Parts: sequence; structure tokens; C-alpha cells
Amino acid sequence: MEFTIRAATLEDCKDISRMILELAEYEKVSDQVKIAQRDLEQDGFSKNPFFHGIIAEVPEHLKSKEGHTKVGYSLYFYTYSSWKGRAVYMEDLYVMPEFRGKGIGKALMSKVSQLGLAAGCTQLNFTVLDWNKSSLDFYLKQGCWDVTSDLGYHCMRCEGDALEHLAQGGL
Amino acid sequence: MANFNLRKAEPKDVPDILRLIKELAKYEEMEDQVILTEKDLLEDGFGDHPFYHCVVADVPAEQQCSLTGYSVIGFAMYYFTYDPWIGKLLYLEDFYVMKEYRGFGIGSEILKTLSDTAVKNRCSSMHFIVAESNKAFIDFYKRRGASDLSLQEGWRLFRIDKENLLKMSAEE
Repeated sequence: MEFTIRAATLEDCKDISRMILELAEYEKVSDQVKIAQRDLEQDGFSKNPFFHGIIAEVPEHLKSKEGHTKVGYSLYFYTYSSWKGRAVYMEDLYVMPEFRGKGIGKALMSKVSQLGLAAGCTQLNFTVLDWNKSSLDFYLKQGCWDVTSDLGYHCMRCEGDALEHLAQGGL
Repeated sequence: MANFNLRKAEPKDVPDILRLIKELAKYEEMEDQVILTEKDLLEDGFGDHPFYHCVVADVPAEQQCSLTGYSVIGFAMYYFTYDPWIGKLLYLEDFYVMKEYRGFGIGSEILKTLSDTAVKNRCSSMHFIVAESNKAFIDFYKRRGASDLSLQEGWRLFRIDKENLLKMSAEE
């Protein structure tokens, strides 16, 4: 299938927002999405962006049933390992269901890898939900390894009231 | 011993930061995994677009432990990340206080400072990784309201290292 991978622009935020919701629905948690198109515009396309995006686009004659030509995306940002230095974190990777199995997901991930390496990164990190068997299999085939399983690393979060309480010195 | 000072790290702190990174890695029995150098830390933390931020805890000269001779005795390394559902997050990469200086509230004060930084920067959440074998730390954080996303929601951290990254980036 014909497609191109390119850097996301401000104008892509509408489609990125649409696809974020589609991905959240796929992960069965769309009620948790609090970020809107304008937040993405501000957070990703101002002077100090908090993330970067890439888009997979198909030509007009291959557009989706609803008329979309932007059919996949990845959001990533740079992080730091205190052991190895610069790293890249792939926060989201998504291809619309009707465009899967055509190499678009792999191409998006390949692009993030290229960009990460160009920025001096030695690792690409991301999280996968344990029930997402098809994604788990896809990633393991690409040469990724499961850090949670192999090293026992658990992802922890402190948010909302707990974060506020901690900030006020509540122990 | 009660006097300590928490402050933003400066370029001159880089040798101490690396020393403390290695001490923490040694505690996790992973000292040989640290390949970062002082040059990397300087370039990556104090240039135009820093990859990380650091706070350090130091003690006045007269309170330097005669055993260690160091004044920088604790640190935390963090950076800002993004969740497209909830926005900005603060990610705590490393957090460590030298053994000789524990039990004086320095760790708690560092955590308080970081949480405050998260709130002031309108971050919804603070994220970090803990090894499941480190029960003491997991309990420490859970007591302060942290959730274990790996246990509760099935999050698995995946990684692809440089060799496979190169292979992947070369794929058409």
C-alpha cells in the first residue's frame, strides 16, 4: 500500500486528537481522555514542546471509509537514563484498523528509531498493556524485550490528591 | 545532623551526580550497567535543551562525614514527559540519599520538592519505575499514595536497545 511518513504539524492536531480517541476506545478507556485538540496544539507545537509527532498518510484515492487520509501516528519525546544517557520514549503508536497489516506501524516505529538515533539515543522505551497480545507479539518480533518481565520493573504513578498531599509535605 | 540544603544542580555538581548514580546502581547490583560519563551529563543537562533536571542535597562543610568527605549527599534526576490523555507529567528517573545521611528527612524533602515542581508545572502526575524486588521502596511510595500500574493495570515496560534500534531504523 502506498503511504508516506512525515513529521506532524499544527494542522495535524485535529486528526491526531481523533486517532488518540480511537486508540483509547481500543484500549477500552476512552472516558479517561482529558486532552483536547487545542491542548495538543499548545503542548506539542510551541517553543518548548513536550512531545513530537509523526503521521502516516495515504493518497486521496486510498482514503478511509470516512474520508481520512491521515491513518496512523506516533507521539514520542526524549527522556534520559541515568545509566545510559539519552533515550527516546514512544508514547503512542496507532494505525487505523482498516489500514493495518500493510507495514505502516513498522514504518512509524522505524521512523521514531531513526529520529532517536539521530538525536544520540541508545534506547527506545514504551509500555504495552499485558492483555494486548497482538501488540506484544508485534514488538517482540521487532527485537524488543519486556523489561517488566525480565527485570521486574513496575511502572508507578502518583497523581491527584496523593500528589498534592506529597507536595505539601504530607507523609 | 539536621542542616541540609536542597538546590538546583549546577555544572560543578556533575562529578558528584555521577558518583551518586553509580552508588545507587551498585545498591541495585547493576554498577557495570552505568556507561554514562561526566561529559555526557554536562552536555545533556546543562545545554540549551536539557534532557534532564536535577536537584541535589548538600550539607555544610562542617557536617561532611569524615568517612566520605563529600558535601553533596543526595540527588534526584527528573524530566517532563507527556500523556496524550492527561497532558504533562513529571518522570522521576533517579532518587538517592547516601546511606550515612538517611533517616534525617532528606529523602522526604526531595520528594516534596519534586511533587511541588510537578504541581507548579501543571503536571497531572508523577511517574517512576521501581524494581519489584525493592519491597521497601514500593511500600514507601504506596504509603504516599502511589499506584502500581504494572500490577493494577497490566502496564509492561518494553525496551529496544541500540543494536535492534539500528536494524529497525534501516527497515524500509
